[in-house]
Amino acid sequence: MKTKLMTGNDAIAYGALHSGVKVVSGYPGTPSSEVIGGLLKMDLNDVHVEWSTNEKVAMEVAAAVAWTGQRALCTMKMSGLNVAYDSFASVAYSGCTGGLVVYVADDSGVSAGMCEQDSRGFAMMSDTPVFEPSTVEEAYELTKYAFELSEVIGSPVFLRMVTTTAQSWAGVQIEENFKPLDRKPFLIKDITKYTKAGAQICMDQHLDLINRFEKAREQISKKKINTLELSQDKGGVGIIACGVTSSYLEEGYELAKEYGFDRSAVSVLKVLATMPFPKIEVEQLMNHCGSALIVLEELEPFTEKEVYILACKIGYKGEIVGKLDGHFSRIDVYTADQVIKGLNTALNLNIPEDIVKSQTEAEKIAAARPITNCAGCPHRGNFLAINQVIRKLKLKKDEVMVTGDIGCTILGMNSPFDTLWTELSMGASIGMAQGYYHSGLKTPVIATIGDSTFFHAGIPSLINAVQHKVPMTLIIMDNGWTSMTGMQVNPGTDESFQQRGNVKIDLEKIIPNLGVEHFFIVDPFKLDEHVKILEKAISLPGVKVILSRQECSIQALRRGVQVGEVEVTDKCILCKRCVTITGCPAITLGEEAIVIDEVLCNGCSLCAQVCKKDAIETRCC
Amino acid sequence: MKLDIYLVGVGGQGILTIGEVIAEAALEKGIPVNFYPTKGMAQRGGFVKAQLRLGQNPVGPNIAEKGADLVIAMELSESCKAVRYLKPGADFILLGNVWKPTKVMLGKAAYPSPEEVGEKVESAGGCLSFIDPTSLPKFEEEPVPENVFILGIVLAGTDLGKMISAGTVQTVIENRWERGIERNLFAFQEGLKYYN
Repeated sequence: MKTKLMTGNDAIAYGALHSGVKVVSGYPGTPSSEVIGGLLKMDLNDVHVEWSTNEKVAMEVAAAVAWTGQRALCTMKMSGLNVAYDSFASVAYSGCTGGLVVYVADDSGVSAGMCEQDSRGFAMMSDTPVFEPSTVEEAYELTKYAFELSEVIGSPVFLRMVTTTAQSWAGVQIEENFKPLDRKPFLIKDITKYTKAGAQICMDQHLDLINRFEKAREQISKKKINTLELSQDKGGVGIIACGVTSSYLEEGYELAKEYGFDRSAVSVLKVLATMPFPKIEVEQLMNHCGSALIVLEELEPFTEKEVYILACKIGYKGEIVGKLDGHFSRIDVYTADQVIKGLNTALNLNIPEDIVKSQTEAEKIAAARPITNCAGCPHRGNFLAINQVIRKLKLKKDEVMVTGDIGCTILGMNSPFDTLWTELSMGASIGMAQGYYHSGLKTPVIATIGDSTFFHAGIPSLINAVQHKVPMTLIIMDNGWTSMTGMQVNPGTDESFQQRGNVKIDLEKIIPNLGVEHFFIVDPFKLDEHVKILEKAISLPGVKVILSRQECSIQALRRGVQVGEVEVTDKCILCKRCVTITGCPAITLGEEAIVIDEVLCNGCSLCAQVCKKDAIETRCC
Repeated sequence: MKLDIYLVGVGGQGILTIGEVIAEAALEKGIPVNFYPTKGMAQRGGFVKAQLRLGQNPVGPNIAEKGADLVIAMELSESCKAVRYLKPGADFILLGNVWKPTKVMLGKAAYPSPEEVGEKVESAGGCLSFIDPTSLPKFEEEPVPENVFILGIVLAGTDLGKMISAGTVQTVIENRWERGIERNLFAFQEGLKYYN
C-alpha cells in the first residue's frame, strides 16, 4: 500500500481499476467527470474506457458487460441518472452476473447548476443498494466492496458521492500492485432474466429483485459497513449519520464540549450503506438510546422516514431530531452546524446559535460576479446575431422565444446578452421550441444547443420537429468540445483529438440526412454574415438548422491557435459600446481608450465588428 | 495541532495551486489533510474558493462559519466572501488585487474599497494583513508569481509555519515546477522574507 494525494473521483477510479473492472463508461457531468477523465489519461491495455454519447447509452454498455460476467463501472452526475434510468430500472430487475457499479454524484449545495436532487430516490424505486463514502479515503475501499457485493447479490450497486466528497483531495492508501481479473466473457441465454416480454417474467423478476435487496441488507450488516458504537451505559442520545455528515461529528463534539457535552454518553451509527435501510443496527440503537435520536443526512429524509417507520413498528417513543420535525433543512450541504444543532436539541445544552453562525454583512459589499462567456468564446457571436436579428425584425427581445440548453451555451441567459429564456435538460431546447410554436405563438421560435448536448439528446427532438413540420430555427453552436465539464471529447470532436483511434462524426453530414430542408453553416465570428443567414432562415418555412462552427477558444488557445489579432487605435472614444454589447472579459477601460488583454484575446474581432468608430483594427492569423 | 484555511480569489490567480502545494506538503509530513476546491462554473475571472483542513481525521470538507483559523484572499471584493468563515482572532492575509466585473467597470455597480473591506474583517475579529499588489518583488524585470509569493508570506507569518516547515514546502515546489522553477523559488523566498 502507498498513500497518494487524490480526489474522491480519483479514489473511485483506482478502486474500480483495482477491482479488475473491464469497462468504464459514462457521460461528463460535474462533479463526476474526473473518474473517466483520470482513467483516460492512464495507459490501460485491458480496460475499455469511454465517454459515451449519453448516460443511457453508457448504462447499456456497462450492463451488457456485467451480463457476461465481467465487471463494469458507469459514471454520471445526478441529472445523468435521470437519462440512464430507463435502462437502469430494467437492469435492476434483471440483475447481473459480473459486478456492476453505477457511480452517481449528487450536488447538495449546487456548485455546478441543475436540480439539487437526491439520487437515492431512484435507488428506492428499483431496490438498489447505495454506498455513500463519507470521505475520500473511504471511496477507494467502498468502490472495491461495491463490486464484491454486486456479484454476491447479483444486482447493480449505486456508489453515491456528493460534490464535497467527490472533489475533495486527501491522502488515500491504495494498493501498489494489482492484477487484472483473468475472466473470460460468457453468454447466458435466459429470456426470463434478460427480456421483459411477459407478465410472469416481469413479476418473477420483481420478486427476485426484492429478495436480492434483502440479501444485500444481510451482507452489508455482516460485513459491518455501517458501524454502530454504543455508549457504555444504556440510555443517552443516538446519532444516525449518513454519508458525508459523519465526517463532521468529531468537529461538532469538540465545539459542543464547552457547553457540557459528554461524548461518552452518545451512541453513533455511521451509515455508509444508506440503502437498504440498516434496520438491524437502527433497532439496536433504538433499544439502547431511549431519549432521542438525531438523524443527519443531506438533502432528502429517506433514512429518517425509515427511522419513523421502524419506531412505529417497535414502539420507540424517544424524540427523532431531523428534517421532519423541522430542525434541519432539505436544502444545501451540512457542516458541523447540524451536529451542534442536533446535540443542542437532544440534550438541551444551551449552545448559543451564533457559535457557528456569522454575519453576512461583509458579503453584501462584494461586487456581483456573474458567470460569463470566456474571451473569444464563439458562442458570443451567436447571441449577438440573435439579438441583432430580433431588432431587425422590429421585434422586442421579450417577444421572441429563444430556448437554451445545457452547457456553456446557456451563458447567453446572462447580461449583456439576455438572449435565452429556458434551461431544462439535455436537448430540451429543441423539444420546447416545438411546444412554444404549437401553443399558437405568432413570433419566431429559436432553439439553441451545443454540439455535445445535440449528440446527447437533441437528435430525436430534431427528428420530431422535421416530422411535424414545425417552423423553427435551430442554432447548433458547435465548438468541438464538451467544454463546461472540463473539455471532454465528444462524437463531433476533431479526429486528431479522438482518444484511442475513435472516429469523428460530422454534424455537417448528419443533419441534412435527418430530413432538414434548410441547412446552413456559419462562422460565429462573422457577425454580418451570421445575421443575414439567421434572418433568412427565420423567413423560410419548416425546420431550419444553422450549424455555427468555431472551436472553443480555451482549447484553441491552449494549443496557441489564434483566430486573428486586434489592435485598438486612437479612434477609440471610450464609448464602451464594445464592452456593453460583447461583455468580453478581455476588454478593460483605459485612460483614453479601451485596453484589450493580449493573453486572453484570441482575435475573434467581435468587438471590432460592433464598434461604430472603426477604432479596432483586425488582422487574420 | 489543527488548522483550517479558507482561500478565496478569482480563476486564473493560482489560488488553488496554493492549496494543492500545502496539501502535498502536509501529506509529506503525515498530517491529515482534506482539500476541497470549489471551481463551480468559474473560468478565468470567476469566483474561486477552497477549503483546506489540516490535522483532523476524519474531517468534513466544509469549514463551519467562524471556523477558519486562517484566510488567504487574493482579490479584494471576493475576500468579503471569506469573512463569514473567519474565526475571531484569525489571520486574514489579503492580496489587494482588483478584478472588476463588467458592471463595475461600466460604473453600473459598486466595488468595495480596501478601507471598507478592512473594516469588515476587523469587525469580524480578524487580524488583517494587507499586501499591496503593486509592490510585488521582481524577478528578471517581471513581477513574481503572486500565488507562490503569498504562500511564502503565509508560511512565515502565520500558524501554518508551526505545522509545516518552509523546507518541506520548498521541496514540493521544486518537484512541482520543471519550467520556471527559479522564478517560483525566488517568489517563495521573497514571501518568506516579507515580514522581516
